[in-house]
Amino acid sequence: MKFTICAAKPEDCKDIARMIMELAVYEKMPDQVKISHKELERDGFGRNPFYQCLVAEVSEDHKSKDGHTKVGYSLFFYTYSTWKGRTVYMEDLYVMPEYRGKGIGKALMATVAKVAKEQHCVRLQFSVLDWNKPSLDFYLAKGAEDLTAKEGWHFLRFHGIALDNLAREAP
Amino acid sequence: MANFILRKAEPKDVSDILRLIKELAKFEEMEDQVILTEKDLLEDGFGDHPFYHCIVAEVPKQHQSADGHMIIGFAMYYFTYDPWIGKLLYLEDFYVMKEFRGFGIGSEILKKLSQTAVRTRCSSMHFIVAEWNKPSIEFYKRRGASDLSLEEGWRLFKIDKQNLLKMTNEE
Repeated sequence: MKFTICAAKPEDCKDIARMIMELAVYEKMPDQVKISHKELERDGFGRNPFYQCLVAEVSEDHKSKDGHTKVGYSLFFYTYSTWKGRTVYMEDLYVMPEYRGKGIGKALMATVAKVAKEQHCVRLQFSVLDWNKPSLDFYLAKGAEDLTAKEGWHFLRFHGIALDNLAREAP
Repeated sequence: MANFILRKAEPKDVSDILRLIKELAKFEEMEDQVILTEKDLLEDGFGDHPFYHCIVAEVPKQHQSADGHMIIGFAMYYFTYDPWIGKLLYLEDFYVMKEFRGFGIGSEILKKLSQTAVRTRCSSMHFIVAEWNKPSIEFYKRRGASDLSLEEGWRLFKIDKQNLLKMTNEE
């Protein structure tokens, strides 16, 4: 099946928001999605974009059963390692279930890798849920290393009230 | 010793920042992994497109360290994006020299970072900590941080340059 991978445009944000929700449902956390296509447009296409996004599209005659031609995306941004320098963090990678097994995920990731190479980034980082075996297998086959297993890294956060308290130094 | 100031890092600070990065890496038992140079820090932090932001903690000359340093702590951060909640502040490195701990410098840095996060409309401040680093984990948990690796099962992955190049060549 033919498909194209292109840099996302502002008008793609509704499709991207749709697929973000599909991925959140798969990750069993749909109630955690708080932003809509409006924030995505503002934050990705303003003067100071906070993320980059690629969209995978199929032709009209291969559209999904719900009528969509935008069938996959990858959302990523630049980060910095004090050890290695410029890195890319791939926040989301998703292909709609009916379009899997056709090389779309592989192509999306290869395009992110190409962007990383052009920007002189030395590493690509991302996170995967420990129960997500299909994704774990996909990434391990590409040479990914699990730094949580290998070096013991855990993700922590200050969120919502905890962040406000820290800012105010409340007891 | 109570006298210290927190300020935005300037180009002249890169030598001190690299010194502190190496000290922290030594503590994390990964000193040989730091390949970043002062030139990289200068270009990547103070050029046209900064990849990171940095705060430094400075003491007056009469309180300088045993080796004669006045920059005795730092925090490096940048902005990332969560497709579910929007802008985030990501704390990459956070370190205070051993002889200057216990004076509230770390707490003040964290407070300043959280104020920056709130002021710039970030919903959350994220970072990673090695699971064996009990003092740091306790420091953060006491202040309201949650461990997403434990709570939700997120694991950190990386793909290094060699494998990234392989991916781009396969396309």
